[in-house]
Amino acid sequence: MNRSKKAPVAIVGGGPAGLTAAWFLHRNNIPFVLYEAGPKIAGLAASFHDPDGFTYDFGAHFINNRLAAAVGIGSQCRDVRYYGESVLVRGKTQSYPLGLMKSPRYVASALGNRIRPISRQTMHQNAATWFRSNYGDLLANEVAIPLLEAWSGAPAEELASAVGSKMQNTIFQTLMLRTASGLSRRAVGCGYSHEIPENPHVWHVYPEGGVGLLCTKLAEGLESHIRLESPVQKILVDRGRVVGIRSQDEEQSVSAIVSTAPCNILPRMIEGSDVLQPLAQLRYRPMVFVNLRLEGRNLLKDTVVWLPENHFTSFRLTETPISMPWLAPDGKTLITVDIGCEKGDRIWSMTDDALGELCIEELQEIIPDIRRRYQGCRVLRTPIAYPVYLNSYEETRVQLGQSIGIDGLYSIGRNGEFSHALMEDVYWRTQNKMRHVIEYVTSNPSLAYAQ
Amino acid sequence: MHKIIQRHQLSQRYSGLSFMGVPHRSDGEAHLKMETVDCNVCGSDELTLLAVGEDFEYRTSPDSFLAVRCQGCGLVYMRHRPHLSELGRIYPADYHAFNFSSKQFGLIYGVRRSLEAKRLLRACEGLGDYAKILDVGCGDGFHLQLLRDFGRSTWQAEGIDMSEHAVNAGRKQGLTIHHGTVQDSNLDPGTYDLALMIATIEHLDNPIEVLQSVRQLLKPGGRVVIVTDNTDTLDFKWSHQRHWGGYHFPRHWNLFSPQTIVQLALKVDMKVETLSTIVSPVNWVYSIRNFLDDWGAPHWLVNRFSLNSPVSLAIFTLFDMVHQKLGHGALLRVVLQRPD
Repeated sequence: MNRSKKAPVAIVGGGPAGLTAAWFLHRNNIPFVLYEAGPKIAGLAASFHDPDGFTYDFGAHFINNRLAAAVGIGSQCRDVRYYGESVLVRGKTQSYPLGLMKSPRYVASALGNRIRPISRQTMHQNAATWFRSNYGDLLANEVAIPLLEAWSGAPAEELASAVGSKMQNTIFQTLMLRTASGLSRRAVGCGYSHEIPENPHVWHVYPEGGVGLLCTKLAEGLESHIRLESPVQKILVDRGRVVGIRSQDEEQSVSAIVSTAPCNILPRMIEGSDVLQPLAQLRYRPMVFVNLRLEGRNLLKDTVVWLPENHFTSFRLTETPISMPWLAPDGKTLITVDIGCEKGDRIWSMTDDALGELCIEELQEIIPDIRRRYQGCRVLRTPIAYPVYLNSYEETRVQLGQSIGIDGLYSIGRNGEFSHALMEDVYWRTQNKMRHVIEYVTSNPSLAYAQ
Repeated sequence: MHKIIQRHQLSQRYSGLSFMGVPHRSDGEAHLKMETVDCNVCGSDELTLLAVGEDFEYRTSPDSFLAVRCQGCGLVYMRHRPHLSELGRIYPADYHAFNFSSKQFGLIYGVRRSLEAKRLLRACEGLGDYAKILDVGCGDGFHLQLLRDFGRSTWQAEGIDMSEHAVNAGRKQGLTIHHGTVQDSNLDPGTYDLALMIATIEHLDNPIEVLQSVRQLLKPGGRVVIVTDNTDTLDFKWSHQRHWGGYHFPRHWNLFSPQTIVQLALKVDMKVETLSTIVSPVNWVYSIRNFLDDWGAPHWLVNRFSLNSPVSLAIFTLFDMVHQKLGHGALLRVVLQRPD
């Protein structure tokens, strides 16, 4: 079969998932076209550098050395020497999760829950029951559930237990990885890869110029296949199978479509089928990230400080320069304040200055002289920061993980899979999915010469 | 008791400078041109990640490399490896030791030479007076010298190697060494009684193609002796996530177990005559050295684990002897025969 004469596979989106898909198809000599709505590749993985020497990312962005080696950018990455998370409860910052486990109150409560028999069915009723069963009532009610609710914008009773069950290494693994991190003086990943086991030799690294380098490397040599500023208007479906794509009012025959678009907008994009309609109900949590520029360094007790107490508007603070000093100029730092919101609500609509002021006001409790240190802020807003696993559509979500329901349509990446997958997971999951795509386009003779 | 110290590993590690600390390289900061490859034996691209490593021993580049296990056939291979055009970088001038001499290495040289000679002569048992022997990937001709010194004077022993540097060094010793690869050579097909591939197959970009070429050069019934690192060992189990000495990042591209080497033989239509493991302390010593070096241990401690340390060599030789008795020696030795 002469593959070059086949209609191409269309890839929607030029972020890490879309570019991994493109790289994989190219490697397997499958023709493809990548449609990117924006003026450049990388999507949310791109970093913004301001003239004062600050680097802004959507969250604490790093990848690990394993992914860097796989993509071939290992030598262009800096090692992250330390990464830690803490929780601020009752005015005390305790490291997460090991510090919390030293608290007799939490331990007693967790042990109590372990001793009481609890049925599997009860545990998996919702996220609240899952956390209470696994962490004990006290830790769940004081820390895990308030954080989950602030993060997702929904009551824990309405969230699926799947939110929790994917999250953690065992205590032994955590201890082992943390010890390795201390001894090797590298930020060994702990809870950052769900697909492939973590080990003491996999640590966080930061590519030169930001995680966008990953995308640049994947896109190397593929430039002629990438169409920038080409938002996809419609995915054309005929008798349950994708046949074409419309972008810039032009239609193109395709053998398959690999979409990285948020899966809840797919129903609106499809022309010729309504089987994806249930996906329209899936929700993503919008977030506002307020990046505070500050005098000084190491103002927080840890790289990430979780704020479960609801008198804080934010649920998480991140001082990225504690782990990655190169993200701010010497003697200065950057604290990212994460605030969950809804599109168009009070937080979403506030001006950057007002958001900065709100954060400074609230953070005085943690950094008393923060107002004196404050040098302005830069705000990033995204309507699709995290998928929200509501129980009301859990069946649809699980179904999406198995099959999307239209032949030749594949939904990949964090947004496409409606998953909490992290960078390395996205890379390997996408490659596995692309094997199915290749099998589909090469085993179906009717797709040949379709153009 | 079989004992062997891999020729190239000894030579590279005894290159004078490497065990005293990594020599400065003017091009050591430049990235290598890399390529991504699928399994070198079965062609599958489905894999399990094993390790991310660096060139711990030579620091020829700042790159990191990914070792994986093929889900198709089980081969351990380097998924992202230097492009062939970079061989000059990853095998630097101090890689092949032309100074591995009794003068410099005294006791160790003597022990290695006598052990290797014994092994070599065992491999040559049954050869006729006018046998033709080819050493594939012969380096500076260490084994050819042994054949000349301990073998029958009527044997015709030749070597072939890609490294011009190595070929010239061997020729200076009066050895017959061809420059190039077996695939591209104009050696006479069907004329060799025995081929040696000692510490060679793990370095090859295409082991199937090379072995097929070697097979063609052999007479019907002729044999090839392959010695290579064994992944079915305790030190691999312990250190395969990064520091295993046998990875020898970024120079070992294919690493075999008894199972995968048998599959390789089947692929090239050769009969497995014998399959055994033999003792070597090298991977043990370098697994520990790489770990200590990578995690910032003091130099005096790191240097306790080198081939310049007879103590560590002796301890791990004894250690590996126990494993060899249990069938898990550090090196695989397989004799394949071209069917009549």
